[in-house]
Amino acid sequence: MANLLAYIIRRLILLVFVILGVTLLVFAVTMLLPVNIRALMYINNPQRWRQLIGPTIEAYGLNDPFYLQYGRWLGQVLQGNLGMSISANQPVADAIAQRWPLTMEIVIFAAPIIIFVGIFIGVQSAIHRDTPIDHVSRVFAVIGWSLPSFLVGMTLLAIFYGWLHVLAPGSLSESSRLYVSLGHYVKYTGMDIFDGLLNGVPWVSWDALLHCVLPVVTIVTIDIALLIRVMRSSMLESMSKPYMITARAKGLEEKVVIYKHARRNALIPVATLSGMLVAGLLGGLIITETVFGFGGLGQFAAEAARNFDTPAVLGYAILSAVVFVIANLIVDILYAYIDPRIRLE
Amino acid sequence: MSQENMVDIRDLEVKFYTYAGVVEALDGVNLFIKRGEILGLVGETGCGKSVTSLSIMMLIPPPGKIVGGRILYKHGSEQGNILAMSADSLRRLRGKDIAMIFQEPRAYLNPVYTVEDQIGEVILVHRRKEILQNAVSNIEKKLVEDRRLVLEKQRVRFEKQKAGNEKDKVKLEEPGALLEKEVSKLTVKPPSNFEVGIYERLIRSPRSRSVAFQARFSRKRQFKKELRKEVVRVLRSVEIPDAERVARMYPHELSGGMAQRVLIAMALSCNPTLLIADEPTTNLDVTVQAQILNLIVTLKNSLGSSILYITHDLGVVAQSCERVAVMYAGNVVETADVFETFSKPLHPYTRALLKSIPRPGEPYKSIAGIVPSLVNPLRGCRFHDRCEYAMEICRKTKPPFLEVKPGHYVACHLYGGLK
Amino acid sequence: MSLKKRWENFRVGMRPRIAEWRFMLKRIGHSYLAVAGLLILLAFVAIAVLAPVLAPAYSSDPFTVPQDRALAAVTPSPTPPTTAHIFGTIDEQYDLYYACIWGTITAFRVGVLVVGASLVVGLIIGTVAAFYGGILDEALMRFTDIIIAFPGLVLAMVLAIAFPQSIPMNLSMVMLAGSFIAMFVLLVFRPDRRLMLVDLLIIVFSLYSVFSFPLDVKLGLSQLDKVLLAITIVGWPGYARVIRGEVLRVKNEDYVEASRASGSSDFRTIIRHILPNSMYSILIVATLDIGSIVLTTAALAFIGVGAPVNYADWGQAISRAQNWISSGDLIIKNAHVFVIPGLFIVLFVVGWNLLGDALRDVLDPMLRRR
Repeated sequence: MANLLAYIIRRLILLVFVILGVTLLVFAVTMLLPVNIRALMYINNPQRWRQLIGPTIEAYGLNDPFYLQYGRWLGQVLQGNLGMSISANQPVADAIAQRWPLTMEIVIFAAPIIIFVGIFIGVQSAIHRDTPIDHVSRVFAVIGWSLPSFLVGMTLLAIFYGWLHVLAPGSLSESSRLYVSLGHYVKYTGMDIFDGLLNGVPWVSWDALLHCVLPVVTIVTIDIALLIRVMRSSMLESMSKPYMITARAKGLEEKVVIYKHARRNALIPVATLSGMLVAGLLGGLIITETVFGFGGLGQFAAEAARNFDTPAVLGYAILSAVVFVIANLIVDILYAYIDPRIRLE
Repeated sequence: MSQENMVDIRDLEVKFYTYAGVVEALDGVNLFIKRGEILGLVGETGCGKSVTSLSIMMLIPPPGKIVGGRILYKHGSEQGNILAMSADSLRRLRGKDIAMIFQEPRAYLNPVYTVEDQIGEVILVHRRKEILQNAVSNIEKKLVEDRRLVLEKQRVRFEKQKAGNEKDKVKLEEPGALLEKEVSKLTVKPPSNFEVGIYERLIRSPRSRSVAFQARFSRKRQFKKELRKEVVRVLRSVEIPDAERVARMYPHELSGGMAQRVLIAMALSCNPTLLIADEPTTNLDVTVQAQILNLIVTLKNSLGSSILYITHDLGVVAQSCERVAVMYAGNVVETADVFETFSKPLHPYTRALLKSIPRPGEPYKSIAGIVPSLVNPLRGCRFHDRCEYAMEICRKTKPPFLEVKPGHYVACHLYGGLK
Repeated sequence: MSLKKRWENFRVGMRPRIAEWRFMLKRIGHSYLAVAGLLILLAFVAIAVLAPVLAPAYSSDPFTVPQDRALAAVTPSPTPPTTAHIFGTIDEQYDLYYACIWGTITAFRVGVLVVGASLVVGLIIGTVAAFYGGILDEALMRFTDIIIAFPGLVLAMVLAIAFPQSIPMNLSMVMLAGSFIAMFVLLVFRPDRRLMLVDLLIIVFSLYSVFSFPLDVKLGLSQLDKVLLAITIVGWPGYARVIRGEVLRVKNEDYVEASRASGSSDFRTIIRHILPNSMYSILIVATLDIGSIVLTTAALAFIGVGAPVNYADWGQAISRAQNWISSGDLIIKNAHVFVIPGLFIVLFVVGWNLLGDALRDVLDPMLRRR
């Protein structure tokens, strides 16, 4: 137990290091932009921008040496202030807090489907190797992984929005959005799927749910392909190991032999992959959210980057670094749990 | 112990359909194992020893296929061709009547489950009823014992009260007779107990789904305890020190010798009549080798099983086996009693093999030529291109496997068959 | 040894390798999926090679998509396929057929360049890290971890936007780069103290001259180049990790120890053992990556970071569709704008994925047999 604690502490120190590293990297990159362009970001008045550049540079200290600017920002962050997001016209922390739940709405449904359905199909594909089931799932997996997410999104929109008029882009319909902005609607979780129920207006929840369908289908189609492929090859490898012969020689039922002995071993690399996959999802689905205009974290990050909104991009950098390290940590712990060979460290 | 044949392999043919071609691994193997004997199966690497042993329990993995022959298994009143058995009968056979141990013990154990788990598994499959009954009787015994203690205490108090040492408002009855009556009642019909109920239902209807469902939610403490006890007992029987600790270990924590003992324990846990040992000591240190060998022979003596001992080490064969079968390139070429084979080998290959055993002071003798490829095997006798007695007929026809002397079988044209 | 003799030795030495490749091809031939992938890629190669024939260039730069000005005067919105424009047009009346055909060359160029560059950088860093271990390994790996920790797409976006249009440099930079590469070669192939000392001096001198001489040469970067550079920077850590893993694995193999024991403490022999063995894994990763790179480029183009407006690129074509699918009917009408280039992309990536999978299926058992 003491071992585990020391391990976690070590990883948390690594977290700090990674956050520093990532933000430093992003900061350095944004520094590549000439001063004038960076100053433009702070200017709200389109008419008088020529005159305003000089004073803006002065005011924000944009010409100071690199380390000064970074240090200033770092000090600010340590006091809890992530800065003001220019592109969103609100504090960075608020902007992220508002948009992350929307991403979560999609991830909550997408992640379990990807992982569990992916594992199931992968295992079945391996067990029924070279049968039609296997071939179909393999073809689907290859095609799925090759699809650009925006293409899938646009095609789905074309079919279900353009042609059938059943579903629409965005995270909420107009009427729901109107209702949600009313004063007495309390955002408990920030996710309208749940807030609607908690506020006693289930139709808002239903509406939000419907709007999640297409983005979830889009992201599932692409990511499940990878999981199926990895699960299948891992399972095939596991099934050809010597201990499978021992298991059969003991007189166990074929079902037990495959599911108890082969699958457990096969899940080990899949667990690692799933962890990283979920971490990636939690960081925001940049393309998918943009296609559907969902308003989640990914879309925000993309817009911020495009508008040189440095504080926002830096804030996003911190968030994704944290998510990354925590996900790695969980994956490592999970890994040690499943594979006893690792535990002796 | 009758000396009838327990396992009789006749004309076994096994082919492997690989990308590189069809490998004719076994080309009509004839082998029989008698009850209670140790049969050694020797041959060079690749001659088909392992394939033969795997075929006995139909464990050949694809792309291999058994394409011909029969494997007759006689045990008591049961008889049958293993190759024609149903999947259910086969499963009942594996692990219980026939068991197997392998060359690389740690690779053949599942790395994510404990020793206890894996040995317990095979005990559960074949001896579940026995364990359940043990659990039931142990619980009942414990209940009886508990009750007896309570009554004993009551008796002591009664005695004290009678002797006037204790003032008590309630006058206790004479517990003596009471004790006897109660205990006798208990042994006839123990008090009902939820756990015992589950076990008994499991014993009565082992396949019932509703019973299994109920059993799933009970903790089955005693059952697990019994199982664990049995696993530890089995581990002790293979001379593993500190068996309780070892039971909870994972395969990668075991040394080679230890892991092999675990495999042996697992194989013998259900008292098989035949133990197939596929080069169990090849990967172990020489000292450990001797220990394991002795262990196997001892266990065989106490359990009365037969052993098919596969090895390429003639020394081991000479030391421990009663009969020996020599294989070459997918055929059994000679089978006889150990002394007979070593002193009067008949088949040219056996002779060459014995001659090639290094002896101090003598130059190294090896057999000219190389083992033939099994993808395009030679017609006729597969040894003819390396045989110093090769005749014209050897090139064309395969020699039949005949009993040339009582108990001594050879497959060679030198010894009749065409007379 | 004479040249002829060396060539003979090489040829003989390669025989088992060639036999292995032949076996590999036969194995690939067995799987119809793999053959399909190969055919798809060959079709694309054909299109790329025959591009000038299939869609003759309209201007001096063949990658500029022709614009139908006559039609543009009438309406800016995309038009469905007609006889004049086989695949239709995207907005501002750029011919989609032309864009798709020449986009094939762009796709190959993007994939091969980026993967090649990432591979080289990753190879250098991964090999150095794995060889020397210790602090150098830790430091390099932390550095790669940092880059991996950040979502690649956003980082690539930021980089692609932030890169200056031209990099000021002078010729001393070339000398600097050259001396770094020389140092790597020396370290790995032939550690020779004197040569290394000389090289170190050259590095110091070029560093000095870089900063003291005026930066008068400008290396211009087109928009697409910036994107490629960005993706390379984001992508090389992946390769570095894989290569480092492979080198570490091989370093501990018996044949390396044997080679060392037989007297070749020379790094060169280790390279002769390690690289051939790790080459296969890297090949598989690279093949699969080409498809992935093309997808990333298209995604970036979709967000607005990509080649200029009239450049022949599939991603560009699709990204233009964004503005024309705001309502249900418009989507149907303008479906061709994203479906057709989309199909090109999907097929291209599928081809590379199938090939990569086939390679993996064939090479994996071989890798393990080693």
